[in-house]
Amino acid sequence: MDIRITPQAFDPQAEIAAFTAGRDDAGALVSFVGTCRAANGGVAVEELRIDHYPGFTEKEIARLAQETSHRFDCPDLLVVHRVGAIRPGEAIVLVAALSMHRSNAFEMVRVLMDYLKTDAPLWKKETGPNGVRWIEPRAEDYARRLEVEKGPKAGKERT
Amino acid sequence: MVRLVFLGKFGDVAPAGLAEIALPGGVRTLKELKDWVARQEPLLGAAMDATRTRLIVNQCVAHDLSQPVADGDEVAFLPPMSGG
Repeated sequence: MDIRITPQAFDPQAEIAAFTAGRDDAGALVSFVGTCRAANGGVAVEELRIDHYPGFTEKEIARLAQETSHRFDCPDLLVVHRVGAIRPGEAIVLVAALSMHRSNAFEMVRVLMDYLKTDAPLWKKETGPNGVRWIEPRAEDYARRLEVEKGPKAGKERT
Repeated sequence: MVRLVFLGKFGDVAPAGLAEIALPGGVRTLKELKDWVARQEPLLGAAMDATRTRLIVNQCVAHDLSQPVADGDEVAFLPPMSGG
């Protein structure tokens, strides 16, 4: 399991290639990349800044990743999350899961992303033409998070 | 001394002078510390009142504001998180 917080821009494709190099033990790879949009709700985004709490943020994301990977029986997981100043078009987050079968890998990535939205100690601040605003999770993010909490365990179907 | 860390939007209104403080007289718990901060910096107090604030002591989540604060502790004030 590889969990990283980085202030540097990263190349999701290169990260995925390195993560999967030489792996013949998994039948499924699912990945998600979140990127910085040039506009949010019709308002231009000039810069996104993500604040974190060094030490605690890494620890909490590792805990969320560990819990989720046990739940979905994913043998390996990659999480890369940017912090600091991010420009539109750049990747913010990459989550990739290797699993024996597709269903667990899909669920793993979806559920971990839902957790990252509401439970990872990260704070997003957007700068645009109207100044600065801090982003907070939307009601639907919390609702999705609740669904994830009470959701069934991963299925057993084959790829 | 006690180190105070203000994350996210709290960091915008917290003055640098609050980063390290001598434990104020009469402050023994997290609740008393939070109230003291709000008295010192009303803008920060209002920002914390307006949202859900979580406290982290020495990198561990504080589930109870009656938890004691001691010299040498690091206490972080966290607004709602927004990763991903």
